Amino acid sequence: MDKMNHSSAEAEAETIEPLRYLSKGEAAAIETELLRDYRFGQQQLIEIWGQACALAITKAYPLGSLTKKQPTVLVICGPDQNGSIGLVCARHLRMFEYEPTIYHPKRSSHSLHQDFTVQCEKMDIPFLSYLPTEVQLINDAYNLVIDAMLGPEADCANIKEPYSGILVTLKQIKIPIASVDVPSGWDVEERSQDGINPEVLISLTAPKKCATSFTGKHFLAGRFLPYDIQKKYELNLPDFPGTDCLIEL
Amino acid sequence: VPFPPSSGIPGTQILVICGPDQNGSIGLVCARHLRMFEYEPTIYHPKRSSHSLHQDFTVQCEKMDIPFLSYLPTEVQLINDAYNLVIDAMLGPEADCANIKEPYSGILVTLKQIKIPIASVDVPSGWDVEERSQDGINPEVLISLTAPKKCATSFTGKHFLAGRFLPYDIQKKYELNLPDFPGTDCLIEL
Repeated sequence: MDKMNHSSAEAEAETIEPLRYLSKGEAAAIETELLRDYRFGQQQLIEIWGQACALAITKAYPLGSLTKKQPTVLVICGPDQNGSIGLVCARHLRMFEYEPTIYHPKRSSHSLHQDFTVQCEKMDIPFLSYLPTEVQLINDAYNLVIDAMLGPEADCANIKEPYSGILVTLKQIKIPIASVDVPSGWDVEERSQDGINPEVLISLTAPKKCATSFTGKHFLAGRFLPYDIQKKYELNLPDFPGTDCLIEL
Repeated sequence: VPFPPSSGIPGTQILVICGPDQNGSIGLVCARHLRMFEYEPTIYHPKRSSHSLHQDFTVQCEKMDIPFLSYLPTEVQLINDAYNLVIDAMLGPEADCANIKEPYSGILVTLKQIKIPIASVDVPSGWDVEERSQDGINPEVLISLTAPKKCATSFTGKHFLAGRFLPYDIQKKYELNLPDFPGTDCLIEL
């Protein structure tokens, strides 16, 4: 069978098919297949994604490059899978000696989400009870914000509180935003005119259509997708360097 | 991964022998990731746990087109010729090393005769967790998970500590004194 990952030495000799940007339906279909047919567990996938996100953050914002006295990072977690990925990302950043603080206003009752929350609490990661509306407080306290609020499954036309309010705040902050998978508030398939403007986007598994108009630093994170799925959806994923689980696009 | 692909030759053949319990599951996941890193693992998994998590890991490997052997040749030269190394993911620290049943006892006999290197996951299968067995297998590489076990004090090969997730409170409580992992690596050579 043809391997999907060709060695880079042969890259010039072949036509490189373009990287596929997924629609909302395709992203959902791939995830369903991974869980149903490939028997990946949700906890397993979230851990893989969260860890890869943390590694992307360390590449985009190495410890030595942070300007504040402490390597503080604000991680804003939504109620669903995107939020769980944010929790795992925060935990790994803590292992990498960053100082994450989590703002997690609405906690899902889903037991997996609660487990991830406990894992963070037991790592002494502080949880904010409210997000200051005074943006200068956020600018002063943190080096960057990780946006793990809304994922590709969210309905961007119908964003409820507290996320609509948080997005207003995020549009005003001066520190960089790194978004997990899709910038919260953006339509999965096209950029929103007045959405937040992250400096970094960490696409999980494969980029989504809205990322075609993303102009910041774009990472593809998560190196576990079975070759059969890659072929089936013609993802044309790039070669990851060495044993890295992420690549800058 | 202690063995990088040799000189960029695509496809380094690795035999991954998986036991029925957690150590075996870890072997399955290891094999899957090795496949993503473009190695060519083959799995020998004689006794499959009925535990649904273990079965999920098995399906994940099957769907990655990783071959599963239906039997392990007793002719060791066949193993020496077909594979570059063996990953021993049979028995973990919870196993009763005084009471090793078939097929693992037989596999261990074979492993003592092969010429290619063995890399053991967490504890060398057949070793007592707390002290090295006199006539146990002799792996070239040991990959301790989370923290090394007592038997590793007498291990003389290449020793890795793998897994960087242990909450600081647990590290403190058990006085693990784990070394500093380099950069964002999740493993360190001890």
